[in-house]
Amino acid sequence: MNVIEIKQLTKDYGNKKGVFDLDLSVKKGEVFGFLGPNGAGKTTTIRHLMGFIHPGIGECFINGLDCSKQSDIIQKSLGYLPGEIAFMDDLSGLQFIKFIAEMKGIKDFSLAEELIDMFKLDPSGKIKKMSKGMKQKIGIVCAFMHNPDILILDEPTSGLDPLMQNKFLELILSEKEKGKTIFMSSHNFEEIERTCDRTAIIKEGRLVDVEDMKILSQRKQKSYIITFLTQEMASSFSKEYGEVKGRQGNKVTVYVKGNIMPLIHTLDKYEITNLDVKIQTLEELFMHYYGGEKNV
Amino acid sequence: MFSLTLFKREMKANIKLLTIFIYILTLYIFMIVYMFTPNSGTGWDAIIKLMPDVMKAAGFTAGGSTLIGSVATGLYGMIVLMVPMVFSIILANKLIASYVDRGSMAYLLATPNKRVKIALTQALCLWVSIGILITYTTVAIIISSAIMHPGQLDIGKLVLLNVVVYFLHIAISGICFLASCISNDTKRSFSIGAGIPIVFFLIQMLANLGGKLTNLKYLTIFTLFNANDIIAGKNIVLNVSVLVVVAILLYGIGIFIFSKRDIPV
Repeated sequence: MNVIEIKQLTKDYGNKKGVFDLDLSVKKGEVFGFLGPNGAGKTTTIRHLMGFIHPGIGECFINGLDCSKQSDIIQKSLGYLPGEIAFMDDLSGLQFIKFIAEMKGIKDFSLAEELIDMFKLDPSGKIKKMSKGMKQKIGIVCAFMHNPDILILDEPTSGLDPLMQNKFLELILSEKEKGKTIFMSSHNFEEIERTCDRTAIIKEGRLVDVEDMKILSQRKQKSYIITFLTQEMASSFSKEYGEVKGRQGNKVTVYVKGNIMPLIHTLDKYEITNLDVKIQTLEELFMHYYGGEKNV
Repeated sequence: MFSLTLFKREMKANIKLLTIFIYILTLYIFMIVYMFTPNSGTGWDAIIKLMPDVMKAAGFTAGGSTLIGSVATGLYGMIVLMVPMVFSIILANKLIASYVDRGSMAYLLATPNKRVKIALTQALCLWVSIGILITYTTVAIIISSAIMHPGQLDIGKLVLLNVVVYFLHIAISGICFLASCISNDTKRSFSIGAGIPIVFFLIQMLANLGGKLTNLKYLTIFTLFNANDIIAGKNIVLNVSVLVVVAILLYGIGIFIFSKRDIPV
């Protein structure tokens, strides 16, 4: 069953801004990633799902309910983390969390306290004085505290330190185990790789691809930068191995997809002073998806 | 229909603003009531004779020798029109447009409450806050009169004045609230929500000058409140009804647009 269903969603803001003819569906219990550069239309799509804005053409459904018209019912089983942090500055963190809990009709505050503990958040101070990371934690508590079945998260780890990013990923994985459906946008490939089952890639408002994460990470190339003792060795290796991407003096760069053994066997014959491994970054992967067009 | 949680939060958040405006009103109320001297009429009459045009524009007309007349001239010509109006402009902007502008509206909309309910609750805050302001004004005038000029105030007429003033401010705040509802940023909300009421007020000042300019009174909502007419015993039902209809229309349109439009948060 599809929990989230986006059908031919189009919202044209002019100047190539917006989303165009977007078709997506997220199954129950799936963690769905949403990748794309800034201004690609990720937040616009999420705003449609939240019912904040209405489609020009097309429709969005969550649990079979129209996001435009029945968002108040949808919100009962949905947790949302906005991409931009903006609370009510006059409140303290705890006051804000309690206020949102009341607005959501939450009677049981124990999950909120658990989350506060988990992220080592001290919510007693005024929000105005809080750092970006602390505010992000408050946002996370607000999104998860009513134990929603569906989570829509807009760049959830931005502002968090690496330790907390890790904590957050653990939280996502444990929610996934509970069978929650999660839709999250991100710039962070590792985050997506570790949590998501499938990932959509969006560019200039258009869906580029929806990938199974296993396939996507196989496509992620590794490159090896091998430094040989002499230039002669480097050039002779290049001739022997064949698939060399570049050579600079005694340094050779090799891309390997899949099996690494042939490379190791070949290298065995040479004297090597250094071996660097470079894992393809998200940006480089994007380049691949965008088919070499400008703008990453 | 209303969210009690949100209502309580807003009333608490805006208590400071309300207090400031109560201070301002208190200051003027005590000053005007104090200036009243029973036999020689009001201190105003002398000032009005000195600068008739300026005073007329600002709504100060000869108040006669009664305390209620003096209060009407001194307070209900300008102060009690201006001060709550500025309050409405600020509060209406805070209640909707400022949340949209800052993005925190996202948190309110991400709760299982209909937009209409959220907007209605914010409107209620405005109505109640203005109610507190006007009720305070009435009570403060009664108390200060009882202290300084016991037994001289026509309380019935004062209450009547304030009933009309209340609905006048509800109608004016409707302009501010509508502006707030249709704006994505506070800049636009302020330029409409403050601009139109201020223009109305300026037109009212010009119309007060008399002569040909009197006809300008048909272009401003302030015409629906005339302190001297009310004191003279004119029926207020028609004026109040018109103000209520205007308010319902403005708030209704504002809430309707807010509930349907795209909110980029």
